Amino acid sequence: MAIPIESSPPPGWEREGIDGLLGLFPPGRLSEIVGPRSSGGSSLLLALIARITTSGGQVAFVDGMDALDPASAAAAGADLSALLWVKCGARLRVALSAADLLVRCPGFALVVLDLDELGPMPATAHVRLQRAVEGSDTILITRSARHREGSPASLVLATRRLAPRWMGLRPLTRLAGLRSEVSIFRSRYSQTPALSPLGSGQGEGKAWTLDWTL
Amino acid sequence: MTRIACLLTMNEPAGNEPAGNEPAGNEPARPALLQVALAHSPRVEDAGAGRIYLDASGLEGLFGDEPHLAARLRDAAAAVGVKIRVGIAESRIAALAAARLGRGVTIVEPGGDAAYLAPAPLSLLDLPEETATRLSRWGLRTLGELAALPTAGLFERLGGDGVRLQRLARGEDPRPLVSWRPVPLFEESAAFEWGIETLEPVVERLRELAARVCARLGAAGLAADGFEWTCRLGDGRVHEGALTPAVPITDADSVGGLLRLALEARPPRGVVEALTFRARPVRLAPAQESLTDRSRPAPRLLTATLNRLVALVGADAIGAPALLDTHRPDAVALAGYSSEPSAPRRDSRPPIPLKGVSQHPPSPLGGEGRVRGDTLALRRLRPAAPASVTMASGRPVAVRSARLAGRIVAGVGPWRVSGEWWSPRPWLQDEWRLEGIYD
Repeated sequence: MAIPIESSPPPGWEREGIDGLLGLFPPGRLSEIVGPRSSGGSSLLLALIARITTSGGQVAFVDGMDALDPASAAAAGADLSALLWVKCGARLRVALSAADLLVRCPGFALVVLDLDELGPMPATAHVRLQRAVEGSDTILITRSARHREGSPASLVLATRRLAPRWMGLRPLTRLAGLRSEVSIFRSRYSQTPALSPLGSGQGEGKAWTLDWTL
Repeated sequence: MTRIACLLTMNEPAGNEPAGNEPAGNEPARPALLQVALAHSPRVEDAGAGRIYLDASGLEGLFGDEPHLAARLRDAAAAVGVKIRVGIAESRIAALAAARLGRGVTIVEPGGDAAYLAPAPLSLLDLPEETATRLSRWGLRTLGELAALPTAGLFERLGGDGVRLQRLARGEDPRPLVSWRPVPLFEESAAFEWGIETLEPVVERLRELAARVCARLGAAGLAADGFEWTCRLGDGRVHEGALTPAVPITDADSVGGLLRLALEARPPRGVVEALTFRARPVRLAPAQESLTDRSRPAPRLLTATLNRLVALVGADAIGAPALLDTHRPDAVALAGYSSEPSAPRRDSRPPIPLKGVSQHPPSPLGGEGRVRGDTLALRRLRPAAPASVTMASGRPVAVRSARLAGRIVAGVGPWRVSGEWWSPRPWLQDEWRLEGIYD
């Protein structure tokens, strides 16, 4: 019996890997995902949202560019009823204010501020959000195209597109997915090492190759 | 000795008409009739379908003997525009029979229920169709015939229901009245000798009214899922407002904060002379929290946060995404968001470890390498941006728009998709999957 190639990953591909990667995001701290378009940043976010919502957590998604595709979120396994979607209509200050309000409302397991190409995000906003989330159980993640120097983020993950996966030889028949790389650009947890498996500076430069399926 | 009075509206069937053909009762008159009954007795049961029972025991000192009480009830109902028949007996079934079979006012003497019920039709019992057919096949027509059957044999054939029906046929009704209480009106009003011209005093007075309403709600064990207020203006106009919290609340501070936001967003245009504030009460089912549940936003804080977000982004830009039942691309609606837990989903994936090193035994840091990912996320351009596409040999080679520009290096398509051709909003489009290099 023929086995589809996609259903049999090669040896060495660890199912637990992405769960461990997503577990790096520390609660009570600001984290960042930075990377250009089509680099897997949104897919990484949706994977995290799916795991939190299916385990009963509530997620707030501040959508700076109104770019969230709920169908993709549902396909990733997210429970949409546990997702609060705030569309900001490409208004940076509105997005920052909305994230600030949500971070100060205890009970959300994850607050996402998806800015994409919107920006640049003021340094003061970074500090304000970091101060607001401190001491809470909320994971705060901002996603943007570029990392800003001086950001107080405790964890910065950088995403990079490696290659799309096409099915078929010439001519191509189907887009099957995307291979991307996630690397730790920065990790700073010296004050509260119990919050994360990473120590200060530990793991920086480490990278994972992720295979996203369309 | 208990005495029961039955008030039956006049559109109920009279005489020996079968109960199965009963009309639904005079619904508009029911609240008024219930108030009439409650004005005469503290124990009133709303039996539906135009029937109201009240406890007529011990009322002699207030209203005289039973014929006087019955006449008074009938006159009071007529005063509110409802014509009724009244029956008084020791049991509900006998009182109902007296009201339905009698003319106007019928009193069954104490101890005479069984004898009075004996010639009454079986339809008085509101029997299920199957039981009615069965009794009819046995040749039974009246309650007296049912009462005369041997109890043991009836139990063998109909079980406990048969015994219960026989006791009713004998005028034995041990079930107490199910007391009816009027739905309380949670409303407070205030009038001012001098009209209020500025917003701040109006907000403060409304907050005071809201605090009183919330205190009453809390005392009754209720919450409110909606609030409304009315401001009577000096020029005779009326300003109305309403707010609906994300979850039912009864906290005065939260309601006050929401009121301030709502009034600041839409203040009354004129001098305010009187205020009325009312709440829509709901009873919340008690829920047992689980120690293993993830934390959720507290209703009070969530409500305040959501209202501030609505003021920030607009009510149509916030909510829980809900996929519509259509193949139309990007068919999504925003439903109301609630932090109440939904039904748990089965998911084979282990819960994500969020705290503590000990929960990370398979740390990816220990073995760098390739790991399998999940579903690829798409992003939408909203609103759709116009773009110019350069074609070569029927295939796109470059895309340029205000938000996205690049050279196409690979792609498949087009796939023509369409749908809802039967509706006023049919859709049709050609889809490409493209790999590009952004400029």
